[in-house]
Amino acid sequence: MRWNAVNPGMARAVARPGAVMLREDVLRAHDRRSVAQARAARRRLRLLWMLVGPGVLVMLGENDGPSMVSYATTGATYGIGFFVPFILLTFVMAFVVQEMTVRLGAATHRGHAELIFQRFGPFWGYFAMADLVFGNLLTLVTEFIAIQAGGLYFGVPAWVSVGFGIAAVCASLIFRRYATWERTAMALAVFNLLFVPAALFAHPNGTALAHALLTWGPLPGGVGTGFVTLLLANIGATVTPWMIFFQQSAVVDKGLTRADIPQGRIDTAIGAVVAAIAAIATLVAAAPLFAAHIDVSSFASGADFATALRPLLGTAGATLFALGIIEAGVVAAMTISTSSSYALAETLRTHHSLNLDFAQGRLFYSAAIVSAVIAGAIVLIPGAPLLALTLTVNVIATLLMAPALLFLLLLVNDREIMGDLANTWRANLAGGTITAGIALVGVAYGVITVFPGLLGK
Amino acid sequence: MTRPDDPSEALDPTQLTAATSLPLPRRRLGRGVTLLLVLMRVYVLVALPIVGYAFVRALLGGS
Repeated sequence: MRWNAVNPGMARAVARPGAVMLREDVLRAHDRRSVAQARAARRRLRLLWMLVGPGVLVMLGENDGPSMVSYATTGATYGIGFFVPFILLTFVMAFVVQEMTVRLGAATHRGHAELIFQRFGPFWGYFAMADLVFGNLLTLVTEFIAIQAGGLYFGVPAWVSVGFGIAAVCASLIFRRYATWERTAMALAVFNLLFVPAALFAHPNGTALAHALLTWGPLPGGVGTGFVTLLLANIGATVTPWMIFFQQSAVVDKGLTRADIPQGRIDTAIGAVVAAIAAIATLVAAAPLFAAHIDVSSFASGADFATALRPLLGTAGATLFALGIIEAGVVAAMTISTSSSYALAETLRTHHSLNLDFAQGRLFYSAAIVSAVIAGAIVLIPGAPLLALTLTVNVIATLLMAPALLFLLLLVNDREIMGDLANTWRANLAGGTITAGIALVGVAYGVITVFPGLLGK
Repeated sequence: MTRPDDPSEALDPTQLTAATSLPLPRRRLGRGVTLLLVLMRVYVLVALPIVGYAFVRALLGGS
């Protein structure tokens, strides 16, 4: 077979004739037949519609509770200026990184965690998993903070909102079907765009937006400790380790092959563009707080932003903002808990697919539900430091991203498993620059944390 | 003659769970790669306590 000829390391990984077919094979084959028919009939839009999903979900999933709070804090602290083009740049970075996971998944048909374990061995595998589990659990906690805080804006008790979030995670798994899970999550993720009408209520100045995009300014207050922290938080709001693990596993679960890589790239690009629009809209919606000189440093959550924005955007604008925060938390809770499930099951070498029935996927489904329950329970602890945690999570995500990117670059350059789908020098230059840049910003954060007087406020 | 609903007909042979359950061989890690992995691990082990310190400082109100 030609495919195996270009991936020498994969040649031995071919099923024996008469091998047992699992439910996930049958369901995936059903989806692949539809894809093959659309491709044969040259129905390009239908083909694209069938193959989009992982890229859109990973990008909109990362527009989560803490990310939207980061964008809102940025808008309220710096207004429309430097951070508008910077956010666009972070989504370009996200596209470069996530495109590699599409190729890895399509070439190897294996998730990221299992590739790290198999190619680098358990020593490095457990380190990578420790980073992921730590980051995922913390991030999941902040998603429930977002859901709870959004609920509080509407007067819903915290335990009801948290229960709703856990129920949403469980309900999404109940169909035991990847395609249904994906389309349900995508339908919910569309509501990430609620931040766009919310931004319109702020009556944004088009000239100021164009000026910011062209000049990367203004930057009121200059470069200080707060600026570097927000820089890190905005990077962490766009590129994080769970995204790498999630998209690669979702590409595998969806059954994408090398023929589908162009559509996988378009999927990722669509996700990046839509997510960037929602992210910049959040910054723009919160910018009136900057103009009104309102100090947001004591805000505990996205709901506080909605409350503070009510006199500036009106009730409708503030309500859209609060609903957007709830949506961001729910969709991210679904994708991040699923990312944990994929990675844990891959590490323990058990079945890992949203096409599994409950008996075969006991560990897989349990991981998502248990992690959601733990995260929800932490949020309900009286006096839990939710504000400090929300602000810290994106910083942690950025710091953990550098080693995750190194594993990704090593895998995507591994010609034994990638064959002719391995990185080109251009992709390596882009990936290497992103890794070095993120590591350097992390070092800068460490220096200004230990020596807070170095850069001023 | 194959059955029209035979999954092996619609899926790539390396895509079947029977194939993906077979582990790939370990790759040999050169000195450069090992050094990079160690450096990144040191980076994480140094960075996380600093974040923890900043987290605690934020909890104590920046004092």
